[in-house]
This record gives sequence, structure tokens and C-alpha cells, in this order.
Amino acid sequence: MTSFLPILVYVSATLFLAGMNWRLAMWLRTPVPLKIVLTPGPTTTAGVAQRLAGEVFLFRSLFQADRWLWATSWLFHISLVMLAVGHIGGLVVPGLAQASLGLTEAQFHHLAQVTGGLFGVLAVLPLIMLLLRRLTMERLRYISTFSDYFAMALLLLVIATGNQMRFMGALDMAQARQFVSGLLTFHPVAPPADAAFVAHVLLVCALLAYIPFSKLAHFGGLLLSPTLNQRNNPRSQRHVGPWNKLQVAGTPLSKQGPLA
Amino acid sequence: MKAPPLNPGASSGVRSHRARKDLLTPLSLPADLPPDWQKVALRKFEELLGQQRSLQLSLDLCVRCGACADKCQFFLGTGDPNNMPVARAELLRKVYRRHFTASGKLTGRFAAAEELTEEVLEQWYTYFYQCSECRRCAVFCPFGIDTAEITAAAREVMASVGIATKYVTEVVKKANEIGNNMGIPEAAWRDSCEFLEQEMKEETGADIRIPVNQEGAEVLLVPPSADLFANTDTMIGYAKLFHAAGVSWTTSTYASEAGNFGLFLNYEQLQKVNKRLVDAARQLKVKRMVIGECGHAWRAAQAFMDTLNGPLDFLESPCPEHICEFAARLIRRGGLRLNKAANDGQSVTYHDPCNLARAGGLTEEPREILRAVVSDFREMPANTIRQYTFCCGAGGGLLADEMMDVRMKGAKPRVEAFQASGANYLATPCAICKAQLPVAFEHYGVTAQVGGVMDLLGKAIVL
Repeated sequence: MTSFLPILVYVSATLFLAGMNWRLAMWLRTPVPLKIVLTPGPTTTAGVAQRLAGEVFLFRSLFQADRWLWATSWLFHISLVMLAVGHIGGLVVPGLAQASLGLTEAQFHHLAQVTGGLFGVLAVLPLIMLLLRRLTMERLRYISTFSDYFAMALLLLVIATGNQMRFMGALDMAQARQFVSGLLTFHPVAPPADAAFVAHVLLVCALLAYIPFSKLAHFGGLLLSPTLNQRNNPRSQRHVGPWNKLQVAGTPLSKQGPLA
Repeated sequence: MKAPPLNPGASSGVRSHRARKDLLTPLSLPADLPPDWQKVALRKFEELLGQQRSLQLSLDLCVRCGACADKCQFFLGTGDPNNMPVARAELLRKVYRRHFTASGKLTGRFAAAEELTEEVLEQWYTYFYQCSECRRCAVFCPFGIDTAEITAAAREVMASVGIATKYVTEVVKKANEIGNNMGIPEAAWRDSCEFLEQEMKEETGADIRIPVNQEGAEVLLVPPSADLFANTDTMIGYAKLFHAAGVSWTTSTYASEAGNFGLFLNYEQLQKVNKRLVDAARQLKVKRMVIGECGHAWRAAQAFMDTLNGPLDFLESPCPEHICEFAARLIRRGGLRLNKAANDGQSVTYHDPCNLARAGGLTEEPREILRAVVSDFREMPANTIRQYTFCCGAGGGLLADEMMDVRMKGAKPRVEAFQASGANYLATPCAICKAQLPVAFEHYGVTAQVGGVMDLLGKAIVL
């Protein structure tokens, strides 16, 4: 396990970064030939920023669609973000995080227990509710594919193993931090001898490698969506499509013959 | 409206008549499924993927959350699961996975990937012609995925192997050859204009003109051609408006159609049909172009015209303008004398045509006009108007007789919202809505009138 796990982490992290890079590059190089903004839409760049912020931070469209779905998925996503922040603070830069918060070691540990525990639960409950929704609502069952359940199962296992360490385990935090800093400095060390920890890392590796090649890459594309990120100004500013550049500047009218 | 229980295949039998050789050949489309049709179709699909980010993103981003599932009037009306926007998109997405993604190529059905077969093509033909490209689902999608883009792409792929509807290709052919969707030749156009002029003379005593091909007029008005025959009160409304405003205007027999059924077929025809408007405006040396009461025409003109056939810098900006913008501006300036009493007895509500609300950003001007010309204006429930409006059930090239079953079921949410308003007159600036909704009202036993915004304005104008 000593050398196997770090290699797996490096491989999956590379797959994640390269995969997302490939995805984003493909989306970005695909042109937007026409103005297809959903109206009413903002006419200014600031307005577009506001519209997108509303989608990213508040899930505005989803709020209009289904309040219950909105509440569960917003809670799930915000918890994931908070867990990521917690992992960075607790594992990657613990010294800095503790110092900047002005806490003692014991207080910092306590904070991690409380917030980590809270968001661990807040992530897992909505996920279970979303899974039940998928399984019990007739129309959701109809549209769900294997990959939808697979993604949910993977996320569920990642969070569950994390919660197990938080609530039931006796993980040596110092060893976990050493393992993480070893990975980050490219001098990998042995992971803590803790089955839940190893399982958690393995599952995260699987998740990282899976994201770019699945619907889980959705977070990367929202900002690029032309129906949301275009300005609604086709009459005040000409929208130039990929073919406009190729067009020969209009045949002279005299050569087009009478129209009426 | 509550989501119905799923009824698989409920509307699988409602299919548009297929276009034959006589209609396909003039549009440079193959007449029969070519022997290598799968290769041709997939090549077209790949081409579109490389050209349209909206398509690529729509296929990649969907998480199947189902937010859109109960937002489509065709699903609400038919209960056919393939009419849920997400399921409709999956019909294209499963082929995308099989032919264009690694996971689909490797794991096939496991990744919900499916080969493009003739059977799939038939499924596409059915359900991508049960979508009116109204974009209601897109409003609720957390990623802005627009089924109109998906439907348009699927139709374009189908057209590349000669699969299109008789109705849409017939209309495009008429627009290309005659200049309008109704197929009205120049002589009949002139006759009808004269006839309406006489009618207005009898009614008002004034010489109100409907000019034809008048060079140097200030405004070129491009109405849907249906306004000259089916919705003549709308045409009379335009004429009275320009007359009262003292603005010189003209219609064109070369571009006598605002509607653009190319939008419902492929990019090439969209551009071609649209070009007639620009050419006519140049030829007639007008200063401005005003678009009449047609929903998707406004999208094609307002959002696409400059990109497709511009620059429009020979016209005054902003151009084109919508007839409702033109009228509302005049009313705001106090430039029209109006008598609301002329419309008394009408309890009026406004139906937002989908393309005006969700693709053209035009929701307030028509309401402004209606409030100025009727004493009893009321709204339908808030979740069925403006960007949340329900399609009439016949947009996107579905207004064919053989589609009646799906059309009536698709109209149900709109009709129910109308009944909730308690109005007896539905005003809407769209020729397709005006053709569809009276039939739907009759189907559901609703006694009410359907007409244009200009109809009511025309009646209220004091000359």
C-alpha cells in the first residue's frame, strides 16, 4: 500500500486535470454561431455576471423549477464545497488555517469536528433524498441511466467513508497530514494504517478519474452556456458567427436582378 | 398543471406527413434514404457538434435532474415520456454517446448508448416533430440547456438524409419561390390590399392605404402572410397605425412573409429565407424594417438577421423593430388618439408567443398597448405568462392537420390558464397561435375570441 496508493492518487489527479482541460478546451473552441440568449436577458456584461452568479451560487433556474429539488441539491452542493474547504484547511495548510483563525490546537480540532461533522451529514442526507427521488418518482426512474446511479453511489461512498472516520474512527490526524503533504511535495510517505482512510482515498481517486468523462463535469460548463452567458443585445451589437468571417462581402445588388 | 402519469408510446402514432421528392429536391435534400445514410447523418452530426457549442454542451452537461420534465406542454398533455424535454434530448444523446464518446463506444448499452439505426431515426422523426422549439424547458434548466437547439440539430441531421416533414418543406419552398408561406402571388397580394383599403374606406371614410412595393417609403413592414387572408383585422390594424402616425410605409411582394420556416428545417434555409427581407429592404430603399405579428419571425429577424445576412448598417438602428415596439413608442409619446370604448365588452388577456418572450425579449410592449386600448385587461396565472408562457401547441412547424391530436393535447395548459383568467378575448401577436388557439378553444368547449394586438389597437385608434 505504501507506494501503491500515492501512485494511484497521482494517476487519478492527472486524469482529472488533463480530462477537465480537454473538456474545457473542446467546449471553448466550439463556436457560437447565433445569438441564442434566453430572454428576458441582461444587456450588459455586469448583468450577465449577475445572471451567472445567480445560477452558480443560488441555482436560480432550479429554484423556479422545483423548490424541493432546489433545496436538496443546493444543500448537497454547498456541503461539498464546504467539505473541500475543510480538507484544504485541515489537511493541506493546517498551520496557516489555525493561525489565521487565531485558534489553539484544541480549538482548531474542535472546529474541524463540528464543521466537518455538520457538512458531512448535510452532504449525505440530501444525496440520499436525491437518490430516493430518482428511485421512487416514476418520471425520474424513466430518465435515469446507470451512470446516474453510479455517480450517486460513488459520491455516497466517498462521503460515507469520510463520515465514518469523523464519527467512528480513530484516525491519526498527524499521519494523515504527513501523507497529504508528502503527496503535495512529491515525496510520498506511507498512509495511516486505517482501513477507512485508505478506502476513502481510493474512492476519491475513482471519483477524480471519473469526473471529466461523465456528467459530473457539469460544473465546468455552466459558465460557457450561451443561453445564459450571452448579452441580449443583437440589435445594438452585431453578433459575429464563425461563418461571417468567411462570407464574401455581399454580391453587388445590381447583379441580383429585380426583386419584386 | 399537474404532471400526468407516464403513458409510454401515448403519442408515438401522431406523425407529420413525410416530404417527398418534389419538396426535397428543390431544397437540395436527398429524396430517399441514401444507401450510406448512416455515414451521411453521422457526418452531419459531427459537423454540427463542431459548429455549435450549445449542442455540444447540451449533450455533455445534462445531469438528468428532471427539473424540465414536467415543464413541457406536450408532456403535460400527452403523458408520453419521450415528450419530457430530458427524455427527448436523450433520444439524440444516446446516439451521441455511442458514436462520439469513449465510454459509449466501449460499453454500449451500459452507458445508455445506442447505434443510429433506422428505428432510432423513426423515433427521432416522431418526437423531434412533437417539439415546438418553444424553449420553456430551458428557462428551468440549471445549465440553460435548450431543447430547441437539440431539436433543431436532430432535424438538421434528419434533413441531411432526406427526412423532413411535408408541411415545413412545403412552406419553405413557397417562401423561396413566391416570397411567402401562404403562396400568395403578387397579383393576389395587390388585390387583397386593395380590398382591405376599400373595406377601411367604408368603415372610416378615410383613405387608408396598404402600399405595395413602394420605393423610398420610410418603413418596410413584413407581416406574416396570413395577416392578409386569415387575420385581416391585424393587417387593418397595421394600416390604421401607420396612417394615424403619418409614417410612410410599404409591404413588399418579394419579402411578403415575416415567418421563417427555415428555422424549423436547417441553417441553410433559415439564412436563405431571411435574406429576402434584407434584400427587399435594400431594394426598396427604406429606412427601417418593422416586423408584424409573428412569433418566430421576431426571433429570426431580431436575433439572427444581422448575423445571417448583415450588416444592416444601411438601415436606421436599432433595426429591425417590432410592430408592438413601434406602436408602444407612439402611445408613450402621446402620438395616437385612442378610444378604449371601441373595445368595450371585451375582457382581454395576453398570450405571450414563446419566441417573443423567450427568444425575443418582447413581453411588455404588447401589454402596454393593450392597457391603452381596452378597459378590461387581465393576466393569466403568473407561472404561465412572460418567460413562463406555455406554447400554443403548434409552433416549430407542428401546425399541420395530421398533428391535431398532439396539437390539442399540447394546447391544454394554455387553454386552462386562459380559463383561469376569466377573459373572453385572447390577444396574441403570432399568426401560428392565432391559427391554433381558436381550434383548441373549440376542442375544449371554450367560447372566446382570438385576435391580434393590432386588431384591438386598430379598433381603438381615432382617426
